[in-house]
Amino acid sequence: MNIHLYLLPKMRTRDEHKEIAIREKAMEMIVNEGFDGLSMQKLAKAAGVSPATIYIYYKNREDLLNRLYNDVQKKFAEVALKKFNPDLTLEQGLWIQWKNRLKFIIEFPVYFQFFEQFRNSPCINHKDIDKSDFKENMKQFAMNAAKRGELSKMEPETFWAIAYGPFYTLVKFHLQEISMMGNSYKITDAKLKQVLKMVLMALKTK
Amino acid sequence: METNTEIENILIFKTNIKTETDYCSVKKILNLNKNMNEWSIDREDVDCVLRIESETLTENEIIELIEAFGFSCRELV
Repeated sequence: MNIHLYLLPKMRTRDEHKEIAIREKAMEMIVNEGFDGLSMQKLAKAAGVSPATIYIYYKNREDLLNRLYNDVQKKFAEVALKKFNPDLTLEQGLWIQWKNRLKFIIEFPVYFQFFEQFRNSPCINHKDIDKSDFKENMKQFAMNAAKRGELSKMEPETFWAIAYGPFYTLVKFHLQEISMMGNSYKITDAKLKQVLKMVLMALKTK
Repeated sequence: METNTEIENILIFKTNIKTETDYCSVKKILNLNKNMNEWSIDREDVDCVLRIESETLTENEIIELIEAFGFSCRELV
């Protein structure tokens, strides 16, 4: 009778909660302790699963890191491209970009930090990193604006520095909750609108 | 997070396949095995985890195969 038990396939079920716990904990560990702070063993403990469970989903640390990044990149593009299209005017498009990016940063602070950390590391050049259509959208948007004469002639880097540099600097103040004067700083729509006006002027000089 | 292999076809083992030399000696035989869709060893990990995707091989067959090369291999649960 018992012999039949041997013939039964091993009952392993895909547990979405575990998968999510593994992903979230991995990102937290990287954000708090850096890439070197992440090991499969430590991650198993933190996520409350066995190391074997992690290896069912991922081959190794590298595989885990790459797939975490691809997932976060997808999420970022999804949030950032909402209600956006490359044919919008520079003012409309830039405003939507700022608002969408801010939403991503505030709703998913750990994703955002992981995203930044990863993009500033050599890992970003790995062959398993997906190409995102987000970049193409942004490029097209700037090119359209230039064609319509909403932009002075400039290098893409200069465009990015002016169009997004001020925004990300304010985000940093917002996240650190300190201002230049030492009291707390909060981003508001009114403040962003004011900065947008200045940025638009800077992007189109006579 | 999609893997093409059903998770019951993923087999996970703890081994002592640690060095480059160790790795090279099992690599050939694992690559030649037509019953494996994919295999990998995480030599960064303390358990030197061997991960195999196969629809037909059993745990015991893999343990025998690896032990025949003089390495230790046991199922990681």
